[in-house]
Amino acid sequence: MEKGYLSLILHAHLPFVRHPEYAEFLEEDWLFEAITETYIPLIDVFDKLIDDGIDFRITMSLTPPLISMLTDPLLQSRYIRYSEKRINLAEKEIERTKHQPDFHRLAQMYHRHFTNARYVFSEKYHRNIVKAFKKFQDMGKLEIITCGATHGYLPLMNSNVNAMRAQVHVAVNHYEKHFGRKPRGIWLPECAYEPGVDKILREMGIRFFITETHGILFASPRPKYGHYAPIFCPSGVAVFGRDMESSKQVWSAKEGYPGDFFYREFYRDVGFDLDYDYVRPYLHGDGKRTNIGIKYYRITGKTDHKEPYSYEKAMDKAAEHAGNFMFNREKHIEYLSTVMDRKPIVVAPYDAELFGHWWFEGPDWINFLFRKIAFDQKTISLITPMEYLEMYPVNQVSTPSLSSWGYKGYHEYWLNESNDWIYRHLHKAAERMVELAKAYSRIHENSLQNRALNQAARELLLAQSSDWAFIMKTGTMLEYAMKRTKEHLFRFTKLYDDIRSNKIDAAWLSDIEDKDNIFPDIDYHVYQ
Amino acid sequence: MDKAIVKEIFLLILEVIKAFCEMICKGIKSFFSLIWDRFFGMADVSSIDKAEEQEWGVTGEDTWPTAPKAPSVKHEEPKPQLERKEIIPAPEIPELPDGYGDNRIVLMVRDPEWLFTYWEIRKEVMNNVLNTFGSLAHSAKIVLRVYDVTDIIFDGNNAHKYFTIEIPGGARSWYIHVGEPSRSFCVDIGFLTPNGTFRILSRSNTVRTPRAGISEVIDETWMSIAELYEKINIDAPMGLGISESVFERAHKGLADILKEGVSSSDSPASSPISKK
Repeated sequence: MEKGYLSLILHAHLPFVRHPEYAEFLEEDWLFEAITETYIPLIDVFDKLIDDGIDFRITMSLTPPLISMLTDPLLQSRYIRYSEKRINLAEKEIERTKHQPDFHRLAQMYHRHFTNARYVFSEKYHRNIVKAFKKFQDMGKLEIITCGATHGYLPLMNSNVNAMRAQVHVAVNHYEKHFGRKPRGIWLPECAYEPGVDKILREMGIRFFITETHGILFASPRPKYGHYAPIFCPSGVAVFGRDMESSKQVWSAKEGYPGDFFYREFYRDVGFDLDYDYVRPYLHGDGKRTNIGIKYYRITGKTDHKEPYSYEKAMDKAAEHAGNFMFNREKHIEYLSTVMDRKPIVVAPYDAELFGHWWFEGPDWINFLFRKIAFDQKTISLITPMEYLEMYPVNQVSTPSLSSWGYKGYHEYWLNESNDWIYRHLHKAAERMVELAKAYSRIHENSLQNRALNQAARELLLAQSSDWAFIMKTGTMLEYAMKRTKEHLFRFTKLYDDIRSNKIDAAWLSDIEDKDNIFPDIDYHVYQ
Repeated sequence: MDKAIVKEIFLLILEVIKAFCEMICKGIKSFFSLIWDRFFGMADVSSIDKAEEQEWGVTGEDTWPTAPKAPSVKHEEPKPQLERKEIIPAPEIPELPDGYGDNRIVLMVRDPEWLFTYWEIRKEVMNNVLNTFGSLAHSAKIVLRVYDVTDIIFDGNNAHKYFTIEIPGGARSWYIHVGEPSRSFCVDIGFLTPNGTFRILSRSNTVRTPRAGISEVIDETWMSIAELYEKINIDAPMGLGISESVFERAHKGLADILKEGVSSSDSPASSPISKK
């Protein structure tokens, strides 16, 4: 029998980026890269584990914006175009590198990689890879949890409880539509919690969420088991705390696995390395060099000199690191089991896009880890938070502390000199949305007004996405984040004014309904 | 026409388009740096010198910090990189309004020690208050008065303690160092005259800073959640009194995590949106 549990949680999220008004759009590549490098490799890992009869458990949050993009016909067809281009370039690369064996092998690897992605995407799952994840969930291997409707940072909209509630409510409805049942868990956007958020989750029937470590450690009364067992908020919603040791091993810039010298170097991409005219057809309209996704070098060391990447050696490393991770969890759980009177749970959440996109070998690491856990030891078992709650339905009651998983553990990354200007506008828009929902509570369903009210709700939600504040702070792609924030706020305000003055511009409304087409079934009454 | 001339004209047009795009790009950049400078400018004004001038109202407690530090943003946060990958020929988006005609101040928590507040005050409200000062109106200053209202229903006079921050003209938001986790605060924005008369322009909501350490409360209550999601309180605490050692172990690395922030935003590797 196992002595304790490991719960691996992947938070899969991208902001809603969809621009039908342009033939192609740079920021849409975020999705296409994540599909090719993260989501499909993970699907492959899960499918192969199932084929090999290996039992596993994993939890993933698939956020509503991500699900909306993955199920959007326009973006699906654009992904096909994207992957065709990659395959085409890989073919050229195989030819170009035929006298350089190290590179030639890698070109072939990328060709396999891209053709497989196209196959899994178009043929195996008929362009809708959300169905793959649903399949794993229905098989009991994967627990899919939800998130805020647009990844809105809940504690920073706490002046308006209706706005917070709408983020959760819309997400729960969206989940139900795609997965045929209500979500049992939620990944709070940016892991940001403040006391009271749990009451909203309770209203929506959500059973558990995850906080940063100190959300549990600073909870009051003091949790008896620290973050190695869930606690119940007074509302009855369970909370699991992130384990910092397992996080560090994977995340940390200094000690983390992804920095190993044998792993693939993210920053050496053919988009920058090869002759301009040669790569030009694979760049965007403006012709600026960007990452294309073919990378030939390994990290090598803290030097500009880079050695060619060896897939075989990198796989050895991934297996070694999986073994190391498992060994550390075993030791950890062995120790905990001597001081606890129940089986401890170690919760290890990560951004899904770390695996494959940044850490090329990440999905293989998960593959090795799950196989090793199944065959090489008896101390730990994989579990989902929900399964743990079913096993241990009695838990201590305690109120978690305000926290987030951002820099310094609180709200600073989303509330600082680079982005604080957005909140006065977001708060005003939320206030106006509630005002509209109350003033126009009985509107004919097919009326123009009803459409305008629903679109106003969409625009508000899109403006609230925490990604914009995040990008403003990181400083990269800054103009885009500013543009999106202003654009959604502008559209919202125009809708507000138009509804109030009863002068709705039908043509313009149709236009933005087409552009910001997230949540087609939204009902603005959620703001009532 | 000569082919060379056509080519020349074509290149010329291309140059013009390029220059135009650069102009748009620069416009956005300078707009941002405007905002950036303003906020940094603001942070500079609220420097330590200023903060040290703050005096406590009511009877000061020893535990209350005497010299709140100013936000130390400038040295620790590098300027954002303004490089861009693609010039987005975005249709013009109108600027957001400066205000909404409201008279309000909103208070937000940033972390256990810092609050953020923004406000919008109507001109006529300002003038009405200034008029009450008579000849002293010209020497009245705009200030924020920060009240500790922990566990009380604040009526304007019963705060545990308060301090005052002078605000430079034109500022519309402020970071406030309260330095006290797990306390509740409320802020008034108002005019203060040299003789100490304070007149309020607007009062904020109340916020509570989070705990910054382990709870002192060790009472245990246990609960079971039935499938129907009904709460059942369990009388007897389960298990042995061994939580301390688990807790200590769990707590060991915590100082590091809070310092380093092992998180999505701090890691070199994060979601695609944070890539360089």
